[in-house]
Amino acid sequence: MKAPLASLTAAPLAEVAQALRRRAVSPVELVDAYQERIERTANLRAFITPPGQRARREAQRAKQQLARRGAGALLGVPIAIKDLFATRGVRTTAGSRILRDWVPSADAALVTRLRAAGAVLFGKTNLHEFAYGVTTANPWWGVARNPRDVRRSPGGSSGGSAIAVVAGLCAAALGSDTGGSIRIPASLCGCVGLKPTYGTLPLDGAVPLGWSLDHAGPLTRTVEDAGILFDALSGGRAWRQAQRVATRGLRVGLLHDSIVRPLQPGVSNQLEKAAAALRRHGLRVRDVRLPEMGWTVVTQLVTLRAEASAAHAQWIRARPRAYGRDVRIRLQLGALVAGADYVLAQRMRAKITQAVRGVFDDVDILLLPTTPITAPMVGERTVRWRTGAEPVDGALVRLTAPFNLTGVPALSIPYGEVSGLPVGLQVVGRWNDEARVLAVGRLIEALASR
Amino acid sequence: MTERDRLAAATRAAGLRLTAADLEALRPAWKRYLALVEELRATLAPETLSE
Repeated sequence: MKAPLASLTAAPLAEVAQALRRRAVSPVELVDAYQERIERTANLRAFITPPGQRARREAQRAKQQLARRGAGALLGVPIAIKDLFATRGVRTTAGSRILRDWVPSADAALVTRLRAAGAVLFGKTNLHEFAYGVTTANPWWGVARNPRDVRRSPGGSSGGSAIAVVAGLCAAALGSDTGGSIRIPASLCGCVGLKPTYGTLPLDGAVPLGWSLDHAGPLTRTVEDAGILFDALSGGRAWRQAQRVATRGLRVGLLHDSIVRPLQPGVSNQLEKAAAALRRHGLRVRDVRLPEMGWTVVTQLVTLRAEASAAHAQWIRARPRAYGRDVRIRLQLGALVAGADYVLAQRMRAKITQAVRGVFDDVDILLLPTTPITAPMVGERTVRWRTGAEPVDGALVRLTAPFNLTGVPALSIPYGEVSGLPVGLQVVGRWNDEARVLAVGRLIEALASR
Repeated sequence: MTERDRLAAATRAAGLRLTAADLEALRPAWKRYLALVEELRATLAPETLSE
């Protein structure tokens, strides 16, 4: 029986893959259906390079493989790629003007893995220029818009990937995360985003931003999809293991430190609701303290500024006007970071990491909001709290950057809404414990829909 | 030496080519950066080297 295409474009990757294997839909029909939606939502600026005819040809090949009962967990599944990952024969801009004509001769390692799993590479998504910012207000490729409210920002830097997932323009997407760039847009747009343990997914062929902070990971409609895609990317079995994790009795820590204050009241309410629901399901929820987290902002700032400026050392000196204003200023400031300052930041980073390790002696999982606010208006620069003002950029990374510094896995899951805008909650686990993170994430996802 | 002169010297030493307007654009964030790093330095015990 044919699956209705309109419902499949909004369906989770797991369902799409199953429909393809059952041959209820062909990859070509699916690609055409997504393509038609992409054309209707061009105002969202989700793509820098839309899928086009190349994706249709890949879908034709996948159709033939499916007819021969070919293998591959993602056979025929259209996956959008953040335009930071090199794609053989397809322009890869990193959201910049500098790389606007770069056509790589080889795929990034993760793109190779997606191809090996049978995925149809489905266009290159918009991002903050060189992934150095969290709004995807891209001066060269268009200001990306939140599909839940086009007046609002989708977040970033993987804004295009989150838009493509939420607006039904692909089955799932690949993103990258240096200070929150997968989890922030996932939170603001209302999808799932996984930043795995540092080093789990190879970054060969990805345009670097901060070598010790960069992570790749999936953006998806469900936690199951994030698990499936993560396993395809890593070659591991985290999702299979997650399904065997008993969540009852797990110890969940709620942070009670200055870093989690202030929060938008609606965000705080959703966190409390989720904590209460987890208690009712037999998890042991308790307050924990991590005062060292208060040093995250300066530690991340010094580390990222120095590393990003090192990555851009030649271009920022030779072609400063080829960058947008915000990224140019950040990179120029990074060139002024002294070696001694970088060392100070790494000393503090070691302390933060040690404190996080200590907390995971007492709890199995940390639960906190992904972002303290719901999606801000496009161009909004300041969040006004009762206690004072905070830059929007700073607020958006406040709760995500600590886990780039420490490298532990962190998953953002939609949990409820405030005034029609999604709220994202973040589940954080021990190093390499993606299975438990995914298991608790799936439980929270199920509780959110009740 | 004024704060602006110090910033100009630092950018020259770093090999950056900046206009006067560029320097002005950097100044507020540079000041905030210096203050934050100073807090960080003050909170971490100095690494002492003995002869």
